[in-house]
Amino acid sequence: MTDHKDHERARQMLALGDAGQLPALDHAWLDRHLEACATCRAFAQDAADVVRALRSIPVAADRTLVAATQMRVRQRARELRQREERMWLVAISCVAVTLTAVVTNLACWRGFNWLVERTHVSDIAWPIAFVAFFIVPVLAASVLLLAKGTHLADHNR
Amino acid sequence: MVDEKTEIAQGLRRRDPDLLDRLIEQYQHRLLRYLLSLTRNRATAEDLFQETWIRVLERGHQYDGKHEFSTWLFSVSRHLVIDFFRRKQPASLDALLDDEDQPMAPPASGEPSAFDRVAHRELSERIAVGLDHVAYEYREALVLRFQEGLSLDEIAVVTGAPLGTVKSRVYRGLSALEPWMKGIQA
Repeated sequence: MTDHKDHERARQMLALGDAGQLPALDHAWLDRHLEACATCRAFAQDAADVVRALRSIPVAADRTLVAATQMRVRQRARELRQREERMWLVAISCVAVTLTAVVTNLACWRGFNWLVERTHVSDIAWPIAFVAFFIVPVLAASVLLLAKGTHLADHNR
Repeated sequence: MVDEKTEIAQGLRRRDPDLLDRLIEQYQHRLLRYLLSLTRNRATAEDLFQETWIRVLERGHQYDGKHEFSTWLFSVSRHLVIDFFRRKQPASLDALLDDEDQPMAPPASGEPSAFDRVAHRELSERIAVGLDHVAYEYREALVLRFQEGLSLDEIAVVTGAPLGTVKSRVYRGLSALEPWMKGIQA
C-alpha cells in the first residue's frame, strides 16, 4: 500500500539520488517502492531523461569572446601591477621622508645646543628659537598662501 | 607535491596572467552556460563572463584553495548577476529568490530564448525551452547540479542557501520540467 506521502518521498529521493545523498536504508525503501508503484517508475524514467537532456544541451563560448576576455584580463593585470609599483614608491618615499626628518631634527637640535653653549643664551630662549626655526617658514608660507587666496577670491568677485 | 586547488590559489594571489589564461580556457563553456541560464540573454551573459574574470583577477586572493575553484568561480559570477539585475530592475534578484512558492509559468511555445539558438537536438531543445519557463532559483539549481555537476553541498556554497533549500529546489525544478518530460515521451 502506498499513499501520497510515499510518492512524494520517492520522487524527492529520485531527484536527489543522483547526488549520492541517499543512505543505504533509503535506497532499499526506494527500490521496494518503485517495484510496487508504476507512477513513480515513470517519474524515475522521466527524470533520467531530463538529466540526460540537460547534460547534452550544447552551449559554447566562441573563440573571440575567450580571446577578448584574456586580453582584458591581461591589461587589467598590468594596470594593477603598475598601481602596486606606484604604491611601493609612495611607501618608500614616506619612509625616506620620515627618516630624513628625524636625522635633520637631531642635527639641528645639536647645532642649536652647540650655538647656545657658545653664545650663552638662556635655557628658555633657545628651545623657543629652535621651534621658531621650524615653524616660522611654515607660518610665513601659510600667510602668503592665505593672502593670495583671499586676493584671488576678491579678484574673482 | 602541490595540489591543483592550492596551485590555483597561489597563482591567483600572484595574479599570474598565464594561469588566468588557462583558467579562462578551461572554464569558458561551463561559466558561459551558467551565466546564460541565469540571464537568458547571450549578450548579457558574455558581458558578465568578462566581468567575472576581471573580478577573479582582482579578488583572486580571496580564493582559499580549500573549495573547488569552480564553486568559487560560480559564486563570483552569481554575485555579478545579482548586481546586474539590481541595477537593471527596481525589484532585486534576492526578492525573487526569497519567494520559494512563486507560481511557475505555464508551458509556452515559440518564445525565443538563449537556449533555442544553441540547442541542436530535439530532446535538449525541449528541455532547454522548458528550463526557460522554470522559476529562476530552480533553474539555477538544475543547471549547477546536472549541467555543471556540482554536489548539493557545493550548490549550497555557490547560492548561499541552506542544504535543505537546495534539495528542495532540485526536486521542484525537476518536477517543474514534468510537462516537458511528457513532451519527450510523446
